[in-house]
Amino acid sequence: MMQNRIGNLPIANENPLGLSWHDSAWIPLLSPSNIMDYFSERSNPFFDRTCNNEIVKMQRLSMDQLQNMTGLEYILLHVQDPILYVIRKQHRHSPTQAIPLADYYIIAGIVYQAPDLASVLNSRLLSAVHHLQCSFEETMSYSRYHPSKGYWWDFKATKPGLSPYNSGQSSSKDVSSTPKEEPSTLFQRQRVDMLLAELVRQFPLPVTQAPSQTNGVTVKTENSTEKNGDKAPDGNVNNITIKQEPADPSSSDMTNGSLQGHAEIKTEIKQENMKPPPEKKLRL
Amino acid sequence: MEESILRYEKIDFLGEGQFATVYKARDVKTDKIVAVKKIKIGSRLEAQDGINRTALREIKLLQELQHINLIGLLDVFGQKSNVSLVFDFMDTDLEIIVKDNTIVLTPANVKAYMIMTLRGLEYLHQNWILHRDLKPNNLLINREGILKIGDFGLAKAFGSPTRINTHQVVTRWYRSPELLFGARQYGTGVDMWAIGCILAELLLRVPFLPGESDLDQLSRIFQVFGTPSEETWPGMKNLTDYVQFKHFPPQQLRHIFSAASDDLIQLLESLLALYPPSRCDCTQALQMAYFSNKPAPSIGSKLPMPSNISKIEAEKPSLKRKLLENIDGGSLAKRLQF
Repeated sequence: MMQNRIGNLPIANENPLGLSWHDSAWIPLLSPSNIMDYFSERSNPFFDRTCNNEIVKMQRLSMDQLQNMTGLEYILLHVQDPILYVIRKQHRHSPTQAIPLADYYIIAGIVYQAPDLASVLNSRLLSAVHHLQCSFEETMSYSRYHPSKGYWWDFKATKPGLSPYNSGQSSSKDVSSTPKEEPSTLFQRQRVDMLLAELVRQFPLPVTQAPSQTNGVTVKTENSTEKNGDKAPDGNVNNITIKQEPADPSSSDMTNGSLQGHAEIKTEIKQENMKPPPEKKLRL
Repeated sequence: MEESILRYEKIDFLGEGQFATVYKARDVKTDKIVAVKKIKIGSRLEAQDGINRTALREIKLLQELQHINLIGLLDVFGQKSNVSLVFDFMDTDLEIIVKDNTIVLTPANVKAYMIMTLRGLEYLHQNWILHRDLKPNNLLINREGILKIGDFGLAKAFGSPTRINTHQVVTRWYRSPELLFGARQYGTGVDMWAIGCILAELLLRVPFLPGESDLDQLSRIFQVFGTPSEETWPGMKNLTDYVQFKHFPPQQLRHIFSAASDDLIQLLESLLALYPPSRCDCTQALQMAYFSNKPAPSIGSKLPMPSNISKIEAEKPSLKRKLLENIDGGSLAKRLQF
């Protein structure tokens, strides 16, 4: 029955988490005493009018009867008087037992559905993966290959419109604008570095060579990279290096060194004369 | 004859009405509780006509009808010049349940009542009988939660094309617009309209169209469903008691029955269609989506009972109250004209 009803509303096919609803005529009048009436307005897409509240209302009975009924009901869960109300949709099995189905919050008269944990995690994971993918695709657009020379990075040839993901960024690669483009705050990076360091301490990398050596090598590699970058006439590389480096020189050394040591060594050996890709390492 | 009198052991006095006195009794033979309705013989003048008509109708029709959702006439016996009818004993009726504010009627309960009513009525109509006095008060319910249509005092065979019937049937609030306009030839639609009003009352817990006079009744109907025109109701103006009404626009039923599901609104609309031929019959009604959709109808034992009945032995069963109302003249006395 409920499904039928919902099926008739065109908006119901959308994700309810992307919806909001309000009735501006009500907003100045809202109070804890009428908030449930506001929520049960006919046009509110979050309100299922086959619920017990509406049945009791239609039969002109006392709202106390809700306790004795089973099925779908809405209750006012929390009030923070002038601005915030939280309404819970729940399935009542007995006078003492009810299972929450969803929460709705009304902030300044606008009704939203509170997302469930799965949706929040899904959304965050999706956006993280999306940005990772963007960065990989962006990076890929800079890589070049020639049978005789092997792989190398080419930032010079990049046209502004080449990468669709941050065309805005690539078009304005001035020194002045770069600090704004920081993808994360100092705080976030320090936190992550702390966590990574902790993880590395707990689960040391299974290294065949002496770990101290590896570290030493990588640090060197890094330094040489920087020097190479500095010497290189390519302005872009310089900029990027500067952008990333000064924010956390100490921590990047540590994490990069310990985690990516092997990969770096390999590239070094393979392409002795090549400039190693500086970005890959520094963007961590 | 002697056997019959001895067979029923009087337990309790249930009530007294204009035409009958009702007792609760135990059937000694089967040890079943029954209701014995003792028809009053009345004055000498009345006695000259013989037994009164309503009792005769009940005896005549119920003897041939057997259905779980119709009140069962178990026995008829006479003693001297009295006639007594023995019925199934019913604990309560729908009117008591509707008026009991401690009871919540869930959608499943409403559906169960509707199914039982429609099944009983379908059987009745299939046997070419119109009940002509359906109202919550006449839908009797026993302890097992089984609903039975009772009071066949106004029931009559229908279907003969030349037969003229009286339009003064059915308690006013449940009377269909064609009866109010004085139609003399009508069919199952009059019962269907009454069912629609009962369904609405189950949802609202107050009478849906409590008209104060026949004209007020019609205007209440039109205020909800809109005033019919010659296009929406061909032939309406030829009805004997036709009067022109102010034009009212139809209302949305979903606004009146705010918690009703769409399939229920659909059923209501088809039961309460103004133009009698477009009203559904019982079979069509039972096949509508409402009865196959969720929620499933409540089973009998889960149906609500008034608090005073579920406790000890039923102290105030339906018949008593019903008959007492008749003594007071009743708010809506039914009349018979022949």
